Amino acid sequence: MLSEHPQFTGNIGSFNNNSFNNIVSFSTERDPEGRQILQWLSPLEPQQRHQGVRVNRLDGIGNWVLETNKFRKWSGADGCVEPVLFCDGNPGVGKTYLR
Amino acid sequence: MIDRLCDQAGGGGIAIVGLYCDILSQQEQSTTSMLGAILKQLVSRGEIPEHIWKAFQKAKKEFGGRGLRLPDIVEIMKKVIAGLSRVFICIDALDESTPKHRRDLLESLREIVRVSANTRLFLTGRPHVGNEIRRCFCKVVRIPVSPRLDDIRSYLEMRLDSDTDPDVMDDELRADIMRVIPEKIAEM
Repeated sequence: MLSEHPQFTGNIGSFNNNSFNNIVSFSTERDPEGRQILQWLSPLEPQQRHQGVRVNRLDGIGNWVLETNKFRKWSGADGCVEPVLFCDGNPGVGKTYLR
Repeated sequence: MIDRLCDQAGGGGIAIVGLYCDILSQQEQSTTSMLGAILKQLVSRGEIPEHIWKAFQKAKKEFGGRGLRLPDIVEIMKKVIAGLSRVFICIDALDESTPKHRRDLLESLREIVRVSANTRLFLTGRPHVGNEIRRCFCKVVRIPVSPRLDDIRSYLEMRLDSDTDPDVMDDELRADIMRVIPEKIAEM
């Protein structure tokens, strides 16, 4: 999985922008107390589900959402946009699998 | 969404974190554990901040090792987010959390976004949660998602090409599948 994102490998501990890739490495590299603190913050591990979604996702599908002006504006660096973007749809339309 | 944002971010103090609500995990996905999981990802990026160490040490000494409460998490998150340049919080399938957890989660996020101009929220869910989201945040950008015909065709082609039993497939059956399934979905 990491090999798909070469820019994120080999720099564990740096100020990395992808928490999902790093959290496992961090929790194994941390001292026991660091691990205890992370566990204290929450027992949930959402990155595990994320890996599953990523494996099953077919690249390109749903990309039209990411090409909309609404998405571009929301994710862009312009400070004066609405902070909340909501993608709604019926079950099974592919909301979870947007890249 | 998370991966696209990560590709786009390219480094610096940009944090992209996420959460998948799951109807089968409603029991363990309390508001506290859900928001805590977002906070955990934010602090997993580097050294655990001093104020969190201190809060943990204090909680450990208290009766039975006190767990975090929702207001504590909100306050810690505000501090952590203030140290970052931009934060994207992505939450999938809000409709799969219980109405109470969802309300508390949205209210906590509203409070965080109110004081954190660098924070954006990406939420997905069935249409009915839209009203709850709009009640919490006065303006919401909405993108309704429905499957596109070319997406359905690409997906079908991928599935047919990866069929583990290709001998039972012939051109006619393949053509029927490629015709009928998109037609049926378009009618939905």
